[in-house]
Amino acid sequence: MTWLSSGFMSDVFLGITNGVLYGLIALSLVIVWRSTSILNFAQGAMAMFAAYVGMTMSSHGLNFWACFAIAIAAGFALGGLTERVLVRPLYKRPEINSIVVMVGFLGLLESAAAAIWSTAPRTLESPFSQIYFQHHGSTILLSPFALFQIIAALVIMTAVGAIFRYTNLGLQLRAAALAPEVARLLGVRVNRLLTFGWMLSSAAGVVAAVVISSSGSIGLSPTIMDGFFVFGFIAAAVGGLESPLGAVVAGLMIGLVQQFLQDYAPSGISSFAPVIILVVALMIRPQGLFSTTKARRV
Amino acid sequence: MSKLTTFSDARPTTTRFIKATVATILVALIAGYVLTPSTDIYIATAAAMAVSVMGLSILTGFSGQVSIGNAGFMAIGAYTTAIWANHHEHFPIVLSLVGSMAVGALGGIALGLPATRLRGPYLAGMTLAFGYVMTPFIQSLGSWTGGSGGLYFPVLVTPTWFTSLVGESENLIGANARYQAVLSVLVAGIALFFAANLSNSRVGRAMRLVRDDDVAAELVGVNLAQTRVTAFAASAALAALGGSLLALVAGAATSSTYGVALSIELLSLLVLGGMGSISGAIIAGILAAYTDLIMTKINSLTGIDPFSNLGANMKGIIFGVVLITMMLAAPRGLVGLATTLAAKARRLRSGAN
Repeated sequence: MTWLSSGFMSDVFLGITNGVLYGLIALSLVIVWRSTSILNFAQGAMAMFAAYVGMTMSSHGLNFWACFAIAIAAGFALGGLTERVLVRPLYKRPEINSIVVMVGFLGLLESAAAAIWSTAPRTLESPFSQIYFQHHGSTILLSPFALFQIIAALVIMTAVGAIFRYTNLGLQLRAAALAPEVARLLGVRVNRLLTFGWMLSSAAGVVAAVVISSSGSIGLSPTIMDGFFVFGFIAAAVGGLESPLGAVVAGLMIGLVQQFLQDYAPSGISSFAPVIILVVALMIRPQGLFSTTKARRV
Repeated sequence: MSKLTTFSDARPTTTRFIKATVATILVALIAGYVLTPSTDIYIATAAAMAVSVMGLSILTGFSGQVSIGNAGFMAIGAYTTAIWANHHEHFPIVLSLVGSMAVGALGGIALGLPATRLRGPYLAGMTLAFGYVMTPFIQSLGSWTGGSGGLYFPVLVTPTWFTSLVGESENLIGANARYQAVLSVLVAGIALFFAANLSNSRVGRAMRLVRDDDVAAELVGVNLAQTRVTAFAASAALAALGGSLLALVAGAATSSTYGVALSIELLSLLVLGGMGSISGAIIAGILAAYTDLIMTKINSLTGIDPFSNLGANMKGIIFGVVLITMMLAAPRGLVGLATTLAAKARRLRSGAN
């Protein structure tokens, strides 16, 4: 029995393994929120749909990585299409319209996926082993797949961060989000960048969806992302919806809190954990833990 | 949604209430004689769903707070009724319904209090989280709620005077279905009357002012937090009542019924009928009850196998498409569409004169 296999560390490992996914989904929400002020309630469903498009290619003899690449490409396409067709008419409308439309899109995508691929969960081949590492005869609750999950999420987060921070494209994206009119005057093609933001967000979500559904235990199903989206949204809200770093950190925190509650709290409370975490966090800091804008009310 | 709303001060008076009640009873009784038991079930469902949609309408239509978790309040109502019915078989049904509403309202206040500090998408996300956790929460209280299998309870006892009144003493199932239909319509009538009253009351006007401009509302002395929590409580109470009526029809409360899908369906129905309107809620309720029949019709017309994946999910697809197109093209719903068309027709006619 090493300290790595203690109950505490087991919870930490499981919490981080889930938490990176919440962070990734939250990041995906934040990208879209910052540029278009729309909370994409269909984010999880879009990721699920693109994951289906890619991962069902395995029946054509493609291997996991090729399917993964197709899924991400489908995510880009779906994100762009959604922005052009559904979201663009919503920019000047009241908030309530965008909420309702995105919720409608969520329902539409889940039903369409069920109609095309059925509601029965589809197990995907897992690229890495699910068997937990052993250390001096005791089990550490980390598997090669969990490591892949954590690394994949961190790579995408870093990549998104790098795009925003260090590339010219990222600079334009930030400009378009911060001051669309000024950016437009300076020659930034704002509309095109808004579309690109949605594409990027959608593709990041697809990575989460593919990782979740290939983890072996659950498989891919039309409603697979519902629970993860709820936690991802909570992470984004707790992080302040504006802050990419906040989203990632909050995602990790929520993964850990959820894991510890599951272990130490009665089941009634732990199943209610999402609402409790959200309420408590927003009571303490209604503007989000990492938000820098002070005048904004939520 | 148009920002300029004209407010009428006219409140439904007690005389109107009595008239409405008498009319509802008459309609229910006459309908009861004409209809067969299977139609009774549709009527009971329509009434229950109309109440549920009205609940969402108060929250979203009146006070502008979008909820994607109202099915959670319906679950509260359904389970309160079911648990109560399992413990007290011979208890006045009215008390059971009122009890469900009270528990629902408490739930609404509990969720509404933190919600006063949130708005827009944050609030919608919180209600989504609430709606999402209700199913596992209920299932985790297995000793109370029967876990994931649902909680069945004895059929609502039809009073003997009713059985003899509808003259179906030999057909108990039919009499029972009729009793449920009449009861549901009556309860829905009373609930919608109170909703109409609320809409035109001081509180209702405050809600709409908060929806349209919360700063202006605060300036004229409206207590924002109180108004928002009131909307939550009223909405949850009606949703619980609807859920309770629905559970009575089914004879059971099943937690999986009241998932996020039902919340989305409620929102679709609300948008389709028309936000903040009584007749919109009634239209929505009737549509909800007959959705499955309409779907069977659509499937048979288009030749889609109802047991295929497409046939089974047609409802969700159509609801999604309707929700999106209505919100983009006619955000005020069927009622709004009808009003606009009527106004256009009037203008055309007066133009011709």
